[in-house]
Amino acid sequence: MDFELSQDHKVLQDAVRDFVNKEIKPIAMKIDEDHYIPDELVKKMGEMGLLGSYFPEEYGGAGLDMLSYAIVVEEVSKACGSSGVLISAHTSLASGPIYTFGTEAQKKKWLPALNSGEIIGCFLLTEPDAGSDAGGTATMYRREGDEFVINGGKTFITNGGYLGTGVLLASYDRSLKHKGISAFIVDLKSPGVTILKNENKMGIRGSYTTAFAFDNLRVPVENLLGQEGKGFNVAMDTLNGGRIGIASQALGIAEGAFERALAYSKERKQFGQAICEFQGIQFKLADMWTRIETSKLLINKAAWLKDNKKSYTMESAMCKMHASETATFVTKEAIQIHGGYGYIADYEVERMYRDAKITEIYEGTNEVQRVVISKLLLS
Amino acid sequence: MKLLVCVKQVPDMESRFKPDSRGVWFSETDLAWRMNEYDEYAVEEAVKLREQLGESCELTVLSIGPDRVGEVIKKALAMGADRAVHVQDLDAAGKDPWQIASIIAGYAKEQSYDIIFTGMQSQDRGSAQVGVLVAELLGFTCATTLVGFAFADGVITAKRELEGGLKGVAKLQIPAVVTCQLGLNIPRYPTLPNIMKAKRKEIAAIPVTELLKEEPLAATTSFHPPAKKGGGVVLEGDVGELVEKVIAILKDKTAVLR
Repeated sequence: MDFELSQDHKVLQDAVRDFVNKEIKPIAMKIDEDHYIPDELVKKMGEMGLLGSYFPEEYGGAGLDMLSYAIVVEEVSKACGSSGVLISAHTSLASGPIYTFGTEAQKKKWLPALNSGEIIGCFLLTEPDAGSDAGGTATMYRREGDEFVINGGKTFITNGGYLGTGVLLASYDRSLKHKGISAFIVDLKSPGVTILKNENKMGIRGSYTTAFAFDNLRVPVENLLGQEGKGFNVAMDTLNGGRIGIASQALGIAEGAFERALAYSKERKQFGQAICEFQGIQFKLADMWTRIETSKLLINKAAWLKDNKKSYTMESAMCKMHASETATFVTKEAIQIHGGYGYIADYEVERMYRDAKITEIYEGTNEVQRVVISKLLLS
Repeated sequence: MKLLVCVKQVPDMESRFKPDSRGVWFSETDLAWRMNEYDEYAVEEAVKLREQLGESCELTVLSIGPDRVGEVIKKALAMGADRAVHVQDLDAAGKDPWQIASIIAGYAKEQSYDIIFTGMQSQDRGSAQVGVLVAELLGFTCATTLVGFAFADGVITAKRELEGGLKGVAKLQIPAVVTCQLGLNIPRYPTLPNIMKAKRKEIAAIPVTELLKEEPLAATTSFHPPAKKGGGVVLEGDVGELVEKVIAILKDKTAVLR
């Protein structure tokens, strides 16, 4: 057993860290203020290969593995949670299902532009009345000749505002519940697609969270992803992999806040000594770091299981749940260690605290993760 | 054309250094390692020349040290070097610059390189001797502390950084050694696809005993942190006295008023 990263993973980590420190960290606060990730940064992330890390080179990916992907999202999220989720949703939720369920022709057609970052992907599952309960999907499709015609709406779609390539879930017959659902690859620049709004959020403000309406959106039959009626399987498998990405995002946010809290605790003096000399602060640091380390171990294990084609459903649920709760805990304590300054935007832990909360909610709420874990324990 | 770039793995300079048990170098326990900063400029400049010259050119990266130096070798390969040589040595830090240069020259003399790139110095030992010694041992021309590099018609035009911000320009015949300084270029990031491609590139391993024939000429006898300074001087008195005292100190201890 070996807990060290391989040399190849260390080279990757070092390269991404360097990129993040020079290209993302200096503008992370502006991304939050502007509610926008500059196009130039998205382009640079694409050139760096951050948007197609674990897909094979023949489809324009970097050809690396799941652990590399987890490292990418973690390192980026240390500086900017918005950029972290852009990568995670794009990679795991759009390119991921196309790679896993797509035909050879679909992979060749859609993946290269996604992997290079020329097009940003999204996953259109959530609706006002269906999210964690994917079986409640009310967006409907019907077949007309060589096309599927889609009507309905989606909400809370990460990366939706880029109007790129989406993997969309729709139902043929609501009475069939999850058995009526199919998955489609859609070009969101098509006629019939309307953005209703990009949400104004508490955190990850640089990331688009978009509500869509679909009015007779026509999709060629060759864009059916997987078998008709098997869309629920596509959704569940996609979320499984996606959880490793979100766990890595949460871990990165926690580490970013911890770094700042640790440094501040050594600088800040009260009662004639650095506040890190007080046991009250020391115990906080110990608790924060222990949760960060355990999150990392769970993520690495889930990524290792996926890389080795073993079952990883329980581990991906556990790492997502644990890392996200670590992120909210660590960012909250980081503010506490900063005292009043932590509440001021300039010190950045305030932004991290806002960014952290969503990781307990999206890609399956932590309550759903607990259902997944306990069901597997009892099955 | 055959190019060689020599890279050294050094500790992250933000590490906390402690003397090792022999008291002649730092302890390696718990250190994080990186490519020597000046060697990154050397790799970038070598890769740029490799791109300029195209397929007729081959760039080899060489590093001396234990298994962990594989990380800097892989980084250089991901930045664009074609192949690598890892001189396996568990005690590279115990060797003096003369021995290190002899090892590099011992390998390079059989390879007929046209240009050898190195950093101007390492961030940890900082002797700035290895590049020039390699040139001397191979009988190559040499220019140090490059902040500009161009190659055309078999001649290197090297812009060098001199004292006080002055610049000098040297023209060198090849074969040559050049040592690279901050400001020469901005090293590229190893991209993820190139990190993957680097995995397929050849890394030849050579035990240091095959190349090292020289005894050390210099030895490090002590490695220690600076002595702890006493507290600062607190001046007292009225403003006039304070000014006089400050001027006296500045005259005595510094060059600013001379």
